[in-house]
Amino acid sequence: MPAALKNVYEEMYINLQKPDTFMEIKRELEKKLCSIDNYLLGTRVNIDVGNKHLSNKQIREIEDILLDHGLHLKDLKSNESLGLPNACEDDKSFDFEELPDYAETKLICKHLRSGQKLITGGNVVILGDINPGAEVIAGGNILVMGNLKGMAHAGAYGDENAVVAAFRLNPTQLRIANHITRPPDGEVIQVNNPELARIKAGKVIIEKLKI
Amino acid sequence: MKSRVLVITSGKGGVGKTTTTANLGTALAMMNKRVVLLDTDIGLRNLDVVLGLENRIVFDIVDVVNGHCKLKQALIKDKRFEGLYLLPAAQTKDKTSITPHQMKNLVNELCKDFDYVLVDCPAGIEQGFKNAISGADCAIVVATPEVSSVRDADRIVGLLEASGLNNPQLIINRLRSKMVKRGDMMDIEDILDILSIDLLGVVPEDESIVVSTNRGEPAVMESSSRAGGAYRRVARRITGEDVPVLSFEERNNIVDKFKQMLKIAR
Repeated sequence: MPAALKNVYEEMYINLQKPDTFMEIKRELEKKLCSIDNYLLGTRVNIDVGNKHLSNKQIREIEDILLDHGLHLKDLKSNESLGLPNACEDDKSFDFEELPDYAETKLICKHLRSGQKLITGGNVVILGDINPGAEVIAGGNILVMGNLKGMAHAGAYGDENAVVAAFRLNPTQLRIANHITRPPDGEVIQVNNPELARIKAGKVIIEKLKI
Repeated sequence: MKSRVLVITSGKGGVGKTTTTANLGTALAMMNKRVVLLDTDIGLRNLDVVLGLENRIVFDIVDVVNGHCKLKQALIKDKRFEGLYLLPAAQTKDKTSITPHQMKNLVNELCKDFDYVLVDCPAGIEQGFKNAISGADCAIVVATPEVSSVRDADRIVGLLEASGLNNPQLIINRLRSKMVKRGDMMDIEDILDILSIDLLGVVPEDESIVVSTNRGEPAVMESSSRAGGAYRRVARRITGEDVPVLSFEERNNIVDKFKQMLKIAR
């Protein structure tokens, strides 16, 4: 059953009108995405499901499938709903069971200021801010209950499943395992909710922290 | 062309060493020179922030000196100019992490690839200062028209001469010509009398410096900035061009001009 898969101006259009059940939609989507080349990583995708209605949870599942292939869901067209519903209504929580286990977790109850450096082998939880010029390096996950403005390196010994979560995630630089990212130049993006950074499909992505 | 190593120093803090380094480096890069800026203020690095390159730092000068990475890996390419590079200082270490000898080797290494090596010196006269001046073949002393700054500059000139750096050049920074005219600020002649070294340039007090520093974009890139223009002229003088030192008149506004006309009419 060939379904259209066109690349229109950096955006992709996937036609999923034919499959009838949600299981079939997912299977069909997986099949198509397997045939996609690597250079399309980061492309935004429009999906057309035709006459069907998808619940928020199902939309979330489609989004996750796309993210696993390094794509973002831009729009989901169906005759019943127009566009994506507000993310706040989302009920599916982030699966914390996926996180790798570390025996040791350190709790730091202070601000880390410029020039201060914290190195730990396991997880680290910081009840405070990390200012620009400060560095947190952890073998495991990093959780900041304040504003992360400095540098954070999670999974410093190569664990690609490690995550960095912060009440406000505005790092000068973010490292997970052997990936290094920085915010784009000249763009100030103000986000007023907690966020989580992790590696998906070989790229560091930042998503809203859902608990 | 033989590459030149200039150390920018002052003794006193807050007189504009880092701003001068960033602006002169950028101005030289705008003249298609290959320039590397070396931040030696280990533990209190600022040059990366002033240049807006803070988020690109992975390795720093201490990593290079200790052999944790190659020099090329630590050099940060500027986002605006082709020939401009920065070697950042470490923030989480202190000034004793490198020695003057290591610094000298590093500078020699950089000379192979660059026309100009500008070394941003930390405030003070201790280890950090000794590191910064080793390897330099010329010193630029920055001073503001204040007694304390000039006193420290005098001390620095003495120390530079003691370590074999003769003929340091002076940049007078943050000069307010209105205050000089009122007699409330030392003028260029007073400062030159005390220090008796060559004048490389005069940079006027300018609010646009604060704006550009906060934004991470050197003022020389803005054609309307007065201080930026002064730095561009200093850079041309460094390359050997003969550019006269301007005495800075505060820009006359219409009211002033009108008053002048009235005076003439009288």
